[in-house]
Amino acid sequence: MKIENQGECLSISDIPELTAQNSASFRDEVQAALGASPGLIEINLSKTRFMDSSGLGALFALYRATAQRPGVILRLLNPVPEIEQLLELTQMQQLFEIVRR
Amino acid sequence: MKAILICPASRPAVPHLGEPGPLATTPILGGCVAGHWIEHLADMGARHIRVLAAGGGDRVLAAVGDGARWGVSVSVIESNFEPTLEEAAERHRPQGEPGWLPAPYDIVLLSHLPSCPQLPLFESYASWFAALAAWMPMALTPARVRIKEVRPGVWVGSRARVSPSAELIAPCWVGDQVVVEVGATVGGGAILEDRSVVGARARVTQSWVGPDTSVGPMTSVANSLAWGSTLIDWRTDSTLRVPDPFLLCSLAKPRLAATTDRYGRALGTLGTPEAQGTLIAALGATLDRTQHLKLSGLRPDKVL
Repeated sequence: MKIENQGECLSISDIPELTAQNSASFRDEVQAALGASPGLIEINLSKTRFMDSSGLGALFALYRATAQRPGVILRLLNPVPEIEQLLELTQMQQLFEIVRR
Repeated sequence: MKAILICPASRPAVPHLGEPGPLATTPILGGCVAGHWIEHLADMGARHIRVLAAGGGDRVLAAVGDGARWGVSVSVIESNFEPTLEEAAERHRPQGEPGWLPAPYDIVLLSHLPSCPQLPLFESYASWFAALAAWMPMALTPARVRIKEVRPGVWVGSRARVSPSAELIAPCWVGDQVVVEVGATVGGGAILEDRSVVGARARVTQSWVGPDTSVGPMTSVANSLAWGSTLIDWRTDSTLRVPDPFLLCSLAKPRLAATTDRYGRALGTLGTPEAQGTLIAALGATLDRTQHLKLSGLRPDKVL
């Protein structure tokens, strides 16, 4: 996983999967990076091929963390169709701004 | 009168429909393609029907039996390939022999439902869903006493359990022994096959839910085919194997241990009291349902 702080934008990418094995470390590392108070958080899911409920839980935890910070936007970038299906199944697509570039 | 039914071999456009068994036995509105056609031909006067099965003849035989339920005699003939109409005629219909249904009902390829030749079943997942949605009003034949049209465009199985707080939006089909739990929304354009379960506050719209499939509490199935743990978006053909049984799973095998294990993991990651409360409520509903199914013996070994 790669975390880049580009001033106002915190970019998280290269996430091959988000499961019980790595969701806790994903959540902790991203939340630690939130200390820099970015205005935009982009999670690039273009390389994420597998996600389970633990991964969804980690995304939800980030949603909760950013919801408490006024003006912070959380985006999911380019999820593959299977991940998008999972987000729709769990209705979590309503929580996130999903962007395709 | 006699007739021949040709079961389609596998179709590359709909690989997942053919996984559990031959396409002719794929469940459709409480029956299967072969069964619906036998019933239709029986109504037209057929009494002897040969079913040519290109593989999986035993599954076809298990699905249609000897035809006694429709008042006809059915024989299943296994072949190594799917014959064309001409090949089937050449091999199985002696030229000039009397007593056959008139064309095109003398030899039928099971690639569409009766009276819907313009809606092919197996060209894509979208065509499959379109054919089922269009055929919904025609599926209620006089012989099918376990399904009733409770109001225009809403068909419900006599042994289905629908919560009073659930919403059924026409058109929708709720098959036999289906359970629709508290606050769920089914329709419009939803088909729930027999013995499926829609969890509390879940939503199913423009979708087909296969038999013995559990749609978890608070989930949303839209524009999809959900069968077991497989979720297919019929607009894009995108296919997802849902990893967590409390979201979507097959009820054909016991999943209680797996379910509780996954819930525990999810509870551990969602640290907020609200989220935990929601998940615990969902877990309770699932456990209740699983226990009910166990006690009621509604967990068949086979899909058909």
